[in-house]
Amino acid sequence: MIGIKTEKKMTSRENILSRAKANKPDLLELPVINVEVFADGKDLLEEFTKKVEVVGGNVVEQNVSETIFSQVSKMYPDAKVNYATLEGAGDFNTVSLEALKKPHELENLDVLILESILGVAENGAVWLSDGQLPIRVLPFITNHLVIVLKKENIVPFLHQAYPILAKKDNDFGVFISGPSKTADIEQSLVIGAHGAMTLTVVLK
Amino acid sequence: MKVGLFIPCYINQLYPQVGKATLELLEKLNVDVVYPSGQTCCGQPMANSGYEYESVGACNNFVENFKDFDYIVTPSGSCAYHVKKHYNIIPQTEAVKKVRDNVYELCDFIVNILKIEKLTASFPFKVGVHKSCHGLRGLRLGSCSEVVGDSFSSIEDVLKMVKGVELIELTRKDECCGFGGTFAVTEEAISVKMGKDRVKDHLDNGAEVITATDTSCLMHLEGLINRNEQPLKVLHIAEILNSNI
Amino acid sequence: MSHSKAASIFNTDEKKVNWHDKALWFVRHKRDKSVHAVEGWENLRSLGHGIKAHTLSNLDHYLTEFEANAIKNGVQVHWAADAEEHNKIVHSILKKHNAKKIVKSKSMLTEECHLNPYLEADGMEIIDTDLGERIVQLAKEPPSHIVLPAIHKTKEEVDELFQEHLGTKPCGGDPQYLTGEARKHLREKFMEADAAITGVNFAIADTGGFVVCTNEGNADMGAHLAPVHIACMGIEKIIPKQEYLGVFLRLLARSATGQPITTYSSHFKKPIEGNEMHIVIVDNGRTEQLSRPDFRASLHCIRCGACMNTCPIYRRSGGHSYDATIPGPIGSILSPGKDLKKHSTLPFASTLCGSCSDVCPVKIDIHSQLYKWRQIITKETPQPLVKKASMKMMGKVFSKPSQFERVGKVARWSLRNLPKSVINSKPNVWGKERDLPLGPKESFDDWYKNREKND
Repeated sequence: MIGIKTEKKMTSRENILSRAKANKPDLLELPVINVEVFADGKDLLEEFTKKVEVVGGNVVEQNVSETIFSQVSKMYPDAKVNYATLEGAGDFNTVSLEALKKPHELENLDVLILESILGVAENGAVWLSDGQLPIRVLPFITNHLVIVLKKENIVPFLHQAYPILAKKDNDFGVFISGPSKTADIEQSLVIGAHGAMTLTVVLK
Repeated sequence: MKVGLFIPCYINQLYPQVGKATLELLEKLNVDVVYPSGQTCCGQPMANSGYEYESVGACNNFVENFKDFDYIVTPSGSCAYHVKKHYNIIPQTEAVKKVRDNVYELCDFIVNILKIEKLTASFPFKVGVHKSCHGLRGLRLGSCSEVVGDSFSSIEDVLKMVKGVELIELTRKDECCGFGGTFAVTEEAISVKMGKDRVKDHLDNGAEVITATDTSCLMHLEGLINRNEQPLKVLHIAEILNSNI
Repeated sequence: MSHSKAASIFNTDEKKVNWHDKALWFVRHKRDKSVHAVEGWENLRSLGHGIKAHTLSNLDHYLTEFEANAIKNGVQVHWAADAEEHNKIVHSILKKHNAKKIVKSKSMLTEECHLNPYLEADGMEIIDTDLGERIVQLAKEPPSHIVLPAIHKTKEEVDELFQEHLGTKPCGGDPQYLTGEARKHLREKFMEADAAITGVNFAIADTGGFVVCTNEGNADMGAHLAPVHIACMGIEKIIPKQEYLGVFLRLLARSATGQPITTYSSHFKKPIEGNEMHIVIVDNGRTEQLSRPDFRASLHCIRCGACMNTCPIYRRSGGHSYDATIPGPIGSILSPGKDLKKHSTLPFASTLCGSCSDVCPVKIDIHSQLYKWRQIITKETPQPLVKKASMKMMGKVFSKPSQFERVGKVARWSLRNLPKSVINSKPNVWGKERDLPLGPKESFDDWYKNREKND
């Protein structure tokens, strides 16, 4: 076959991109988001609390007369394995993350306390990201999840949440709204699928 | 105002009383209405079955018959919608554009064009309104349960002008009846099941009469009601608006 | 099998049809309650539509931007032109890591590509970890719904399935107990997984990150524990900027189940130190669909399943009657683009009632596209001769008023004079369960002419 020039075969990447380019319509404008049309004048704290409860979680106020650790310990009297990322956890923490060989060893974690920097009123979601998560699987593998959130860090809608997140370089982050759940068996809601079986937001 | 009356093919042949009621009603409302005798069908049966190209003759005939009227009024939301939405398959002459712009379903015309606020009709029965889909979601004769916004209904507005009518609430306010043109035979099992469920909703909620803007839906429901000997009367909305019981 | 045939088989058990219809209507109802409480919901839908339409109109650009950012984040990006290449890529990554046990969270794309059987053929164990998907996997069935994969199964059926496969005790179908047992069973699978596969709900061009939404937490349990995470996405999952998640995450769960947001909306960007993260970007017919002006908006779909829950036909025929990866209205406009002949009955499995278009969170004109597919199907696939001939005849009759009058007269006479046994005989499918109207002596036309004469 000498003399016949074989063309180099297009890679799938080139193929897909060139087809996307050839087949797309003329450029359409990006719509402008005017968040004002969504304003509903609801009280943030009230709405946040209501939504956390709707999605199966609890909201409590931080008790000023005791530490968050003793407050949470009373909520889960049977818990054996606890961990908090908050300062001053001291002997609340029964595991040392540094000593773990792999995250799988957190399998028996009963109670985890984390801090969130952002809550969203419209859906009761709280944001957790690498900054607050020394190990990514923590909020999923724990049986009970407690998240501490400052009241002033609640925004009305996701539209207000993303500009705040855009300023931070998150390698991983998650909005968590309530405990893990499923309704895959005849649409019956069951709390506690693969992730945390309870979620409590402590407002301070 | 010159109004052309369009009587859909199946009403013309099978339910002439609906055509009569429509005409008489418009005349009572002092509308200068004419029924052009060369009309046949809007073309929908072929088009919805995937044979739009076979409906071109029907479309042209429709335009030919109605191009000189200020408004075209028809006792069918479905046919009006078809003309508005699907007459893009023939060249868009001035006549075609005019016809598409000016075709109206009967209730829509009464409420939104004539702006009628009073009728002399009376009909002392519990009435359930089956909101035919093409009128509801095509012509937006009312708000539908899917869309967020203010609640409204031209059909209910006009029925509320009839003395004695008691509108009943349905459990599923605007579910399809399952007629769907040739769907009624190509998907017979589902079509029948949908129709049965629609009838049951009316019976469960105490309707004595089931009405709609479309005789096609009603033909399907009536077929089930008659076969199963159920205590429900079926009337096109024009018959109620034109009645004096 | 045609949709109507499968649907009529499903309808032989009316009780089950009622149960199925009610279960899905319940979800539709939850959606209504949720969205009617959102100020500006219709604006939100328009934004969703507009952002998706814009993205598709600049798709190659955003894909390239996404790839570059993902690579910067330390993610390995792969491109697959079709299902086979997708499967090969996933397989080769797994092979490289000597992965034998794989956990997978929900991904309609991997269903579309038939990834599981491909990997199983090489002796790999692949476990679907979404509870509904695990149920249908154990039953050796495809999902019947994209959000509620086991919606066609009664709790008693799940009970039996779990007894057989997971060794559970008979429980009369107690969902609490069954879910608890599934949690234990799948916990073991998460603990021993060598690799995790997830789908992608949204891929963000300006960050190179992607978002995966679940209620159960299964995607995260898999992805954060296994040393390798492979995320598979269709090219249409791209959105230009992270801030648009504000629009789509507000729309998605509310439309799907009525929840204000899924329990977990996980934003993946960089792999865990020491682990690997891969993204496989798949075409498999999508650029072809992009080339069709009438149908390209079907690529806006964010897979919420709302059109299925609202569809009166889907609710009464079950997802399996569509014999397609994506069932229901959205599937009926996507599938013909892939295999027109195989899926030629799907666009006819609709009354064109339009409810699907009105619930769609990204305003896809689903019912209009169904209508348009019908026009193509009658031209490009073999049609029953009777249907074709009768349509031609109708077309002729309706274009000539004189013929219409003649045919109408005969039809009315027949309805009036023929015995019911003849009218409702077998060729008349209408008459199986419905009466036909009595043919009136006089058409409206006749009546009008007489009236004019007498005036």
